[in-house]
Amino acid sequence: MSLFTTRYERASFFDEMFGASGEFRPHYRRLAERLDTLSEGEFNQRRAAVDLAFLRRGVTFTVYDNTEGTERIFPFDLLPRIIPAREWTRIEAGLIQRLTALNLFLHDIYHEQKILKDKVVPAAQVFSAKHFRREFMNFSVPRDVYVHICGSDLIRDHDGNYMVLEDNLRCPSGASYMIENRAAMRRAFPNLFESYRVRPVEGYAETLLKSLLHIAPAGCDHPNVVVLTPGVCNSAYFEHTFLARQMGVPIVEGRDLVVRNSCVYMRTIGGLVPVHVIYRRIDDDFLDPTVFRPDSVLGVPGLVGAYRSGNVSLANSIGTGVADDKVIYAYVPKMIRYYLDEDPILPNVKTYLASEPADRKFILENIGKLVVKSANEAGGYGMLIGPASTEAEIADFRAKVAAQPRNFIAQDPIQLSRAPTWCDGSLEGRHIDLRPYILHGEKITVTPGGLTRVALRRGSLVVNSSQGGGSKDTWVLQGDD
Amino acid sequence: MSGPTDRAPARMLLHLIHRTTFVYGGDARDSFNEVRLRPCDDENQACRQFSLRVSPESAVRDYTDFHGNTVHFFDVPEGHARLVIEAESEVETVPDASRAAPAPVGFDALAASPEREMQAEFLADSRYVPFAPEIWREVQDVLSGGRGDVWGDAVRLGRHIHSTFKYRPKTTGVTTTATDALKLRAGVCQDFAHVMLGMCRCAGLPARYVSGYFLNVDRLPGEVEASHAWVEVFVPGQGWLGFDPTHNRSSDERYIKVGVGRDYADISPVSGTYRGAPTLSLDVDVKVSQLNSLTAVPG
Amino acid sequence: MQTTPKAPAAQRSGPMLSRVAHSLYWMSLYIERAENVARLLDVNLQFLLDFQGLSESLPQEHWGSILASSGGAELFAELHGEPDSQNVPEFLAFDQRNPNSILSCVLSARENARMIRDQISSEMWEVINELYLFLRARNAAEVWRAGPYEFFQQVKRYSHQFQGLADSTYPRSEGWDFIQFGKLIERADKTTRILDVKYHILLPTATDVGGAVDTAQWHAVLRSASALDAYRRYYVHEILPWKVADFLIFSDTFPRSLCYCVGRLDGYLHRILGDSPARPRAPAAVAAHDLLADLKSRDIEYVLQMGLHEFLIEVQKSLDRIGDEVVQTTMFFPADPEPEEHQHQQTQQQQQ
Repeated sequence: MSLFTTRYERASFFDEMFGASGEFRPHYRRLAERLDTLSEGEFNQRRAAVDLAFLRRGVTFTVYDNTEGTERIFPFDLLPRIIPAREWTRIEAGLIQRLTALNLFLHDIYHEQKILKDKVVPAAQVFSAKHFRREFMNFSVPRDVYVHICGSDLIRDHDGNYMVLEDNLRCPSGASYMIENRAAMRRAFPNLFESYRVRPVEGYAETLLKSLLHIAPAGCDHPNVVVLTPGVCNSAYFEHTFLARQMGVPIVEGRDLVVRNSCVYMRTIGGLVPVHVIYRRIDDDFLDPTVFRPDSVLGVPGLVGAYRSGNVSLANSIGTGVADDKVIYAYVPKMIRYYLDEDPILPNVKTYLASEPADRKFILENIGKLVVKSANEAGGYGMLIGPASTEAEIADFRAKVAAQPRNFIAQDPIQLSRAPTWCDGSLEGRHIDLRPYILHGEKITVTPGGLTRVALRRGSLVVNSSQGGGSKDTWVLQGDD
Repeated sequence: MSGPTDRAPARMLLHLIHRTTFVYGGDARDSFNEVRLRPCDDENQACRQFSLRVSPESAVRDYTDFHGNTVHFFDVPEGHARLVIEAESEVETVPDASRAAPAPVGFDALAASPEREMQAEFLADSRYVPFAPEIWREVQDVLSGGRGDVWGDAVRLGRHIHSTFKYRPKTTGVTTTATDALKLRAGVCQDFAHVMLGMCRCAGLPARYVSGYFLNVDRLPGEVEASHAWVEVFVPGQGWLGFDPTHNRSSDERYIKVGVGRDYADISPVSGTYRGAPTLSLDVDVKVSQLNSLTAVPG
Repeated sequence: MQTTPKAPAAQRSGPMLSRVAHSLYWMSLYIERAENVARLLDVNLQFLLDFQGLSESLPQEHWGSILASSGGAELFAELHGEPDSQNVPEFLAFDQRNPNSILSCVLSARENARMIRDQISSEMWEVINELYLFLRARNAAEVWRAGPYEFFQQVKRYSHQFQGLADSTYPRSEGWDFIQFGKLIERADKTTRILDVKYHILLPTATDVGGAVDTAQWHAVLRSASALDAYRRYYVHEILPWKVADFLIFSDTFPRSLCYCVGRLDGYLHRILGDSPARPRAPAAVAAHDLLADLKSRDIEYVLQMGLHEFLIEVQKSLDRIGDEVVQTTMFFPADPEPEEHQHQQTQQQQQ
């Protein structure tokens, strides 16, 4: 086996490609056979071609270390992650169930608050959530859909069971990389696609547009949809323009929009053009300086008033961030039981809440062995991986948790699954997760695949792009191999 | 004023005008605003009439916010050098004689009350009332004699503030927090209310900020006629009861309540943004007067 | 190979965003301006190399007139005092305090291009970026040492590359109209200024007219507009002042002549503004129409009678008006890309 010259270390982790006794899992066999026929030189050639293509197409994200942002390619690993149909069926059902429950939860807490009155979720947790938007009580959102685009991150434990690590309900990103990665793989391994039957992801933009059109204000024959971006300085700017272009809709910044008579318009050279649906990639806080942060220059004054008047629809709706909160995450299984009367298909990772006295005691005593996370940070920041941290870091976190228990949760470290990744000339196992993209239009659909993120540094568990992560293409098969 | 026993006590009918005038050093445009000026309806008052006038004229819409306050919003797109917002209302208040005196309720009743979870809102930090050890310490001092009933303790805290703080306009500003005011031991009603909130919350008493006005027959030296702020404390079985630390008394029939929230940030009477020239001046003119008191209908 | 599905027919990208039009216009205008300054400096440096020995005051006069006609005289005087062959080129090429220096123009062009990255092809962006990096890497002292000629050639080359890429990669949509409009309005304006240079040079004495210096100066005027060869083909014989003016104002075939530029500009203006019921005969369209009619109906006799300088100033004013009008009508933003100041309503304490 030319590419597998060095012995591949499976260790005790669940490996995507190799089974317990080192044999190829059935759905990876064809890939292995194909790789077998490639020399290292040929493989590297394809890698280089793909990287160059990414650079040329500008598939980048921006990292800001000083005022000048540097654009980086999101490192891409050529070895795909393959998921057989039977596994995916379960994942899909579980995600649909989960998003259904989350949507019902959001509707409930912004209306009758039954789940709080029935004490299934403590009211205190909701009211103290950083992104609970009181301004949105009793607000009716179009079609009662709060979350139109959701990215729930999945991991596998050492037995290979899929679990949900967190839900991202505000502005989940990465769908553009999912599409670009697929295009790259087609260029690199055209024949492989023919031998496998991989379900396509290219329909994402079309489904997204349909979901957006679905929530257009009533009485509108030809709704105008726009993508609202914070601008070139935002690290995901590439994705904003990419999706806008794929959907064939304009991309605008806050200063391109203006509100008149509670209706939203775009400033164009032909005058003011009405806007009916906004796919906004700006966080609630910055959306409207009249209602939220007054110092925001990214937003549109009066936008919330127009939203309230029903003249414009927003995706995702305002106020979804409360379910993004890692403390609220812990209650999702209860939400599924409460609203749907079903058992969760996809389990949560066991979570300890620092706000609960018994859990807090446990966390403070065992912090060195736990993964501790801030309730509301993203990108892998505000996180402590106990077993991999210094005494000083642990002490620091212990103090933070004691001071602000509401803002911290802890989890047992999961032995994240690994997948073979090309690392500096040899195949090595690296930890991965999966972010599928769930769209809620007339019905909820999960794009088959999603973004598999890889922690590129040996031994690292952090997969985020800003901290040394990369990605793989994700293949969901029509069949099981 | 006692009357024949078969007549209910007379209600007070209060008339209120609150005018806010912004003058800009040039043109302002694309002005988007929210105002919380409409007196609410609750067990102690009913708002009989309300009108909101804006100049330059614009369409005004409204919604009800999280705390049940009515919020009006409007925008003025065209250039204008002044913005005048005038709210006029007639409010009928329940006479003091008809209001039940608070019955003593022990502190443990709070944890046992059915509204326990909802109280969390009003025990937590908020923008103007952060948790601070200094506040906590002072509360321990004031209540060092031992805890009494919920309302009684709240009143003790309120009276303490009244007697140890100085009412002094122009020493604090609209952004002054409870901890700032505590250091100065002086301020206006907004600050008195914030400090009392801090103290009640440290004592485990759920308390909320109340924005409104009152009919002022005796003025404190230097006191201006403006909008007023006081505090309401939650007493299980009796609801929210009001105390005014600036004037050292419970809120009574002279008080007109507009809205409630965690602190000033939740009920700011007028707020908004616009583009253009900086503001030259902001004038607020408030007048509260009593119309003829209604004679009650017998029976 | 599977292609990405087309967007549903219900939605296409509608009319262009004002902000994007604004950026395309300024990006194009600033690149054109940078190129013109480079050309102007190049030609006039060479001219002075040939003739400076002739009189003490020649360089100062000559540079003074360049500054006067390009509109930077006041600012220069504030910063530097007397002009010479060192400080004027520096001022016009590298000084960031001069908003019209080559460096300033390229910085502005790049800023505008960056804001509309996704609208222009990556090649267009790369060229502007390379020009920017090229300028950033040089400094004035190095340039003069190395020989300014190569430097100016490089600037011109980048500009031509940019225009060529725009021509071959930019779709012929509204955006294209704004790119061309910006370029042409700047080009027309520059032609008037190039012609005006001679006005600011002290009137030659009787013996100077037709002399070597005078002829060489008119030579330089033509070369500043890259018009020397074209002129010679047209007029074959000598270089006479009135013929140069005639050529640069009235030729309807030479790409940098006023008449030609305004003619094409008028065409793009009509496409940008359109003559629709919503916008009948916009002021800018009227102004352009009048200017073009003037240029088509007048001749050089008229101009000389009126006074070349006076005529050119009038044309500049018209062009300014047209430019401002277009920005006001289509862009809803002030010419300065800074957003208008954002204010909060003051809130008042509850005081009672």
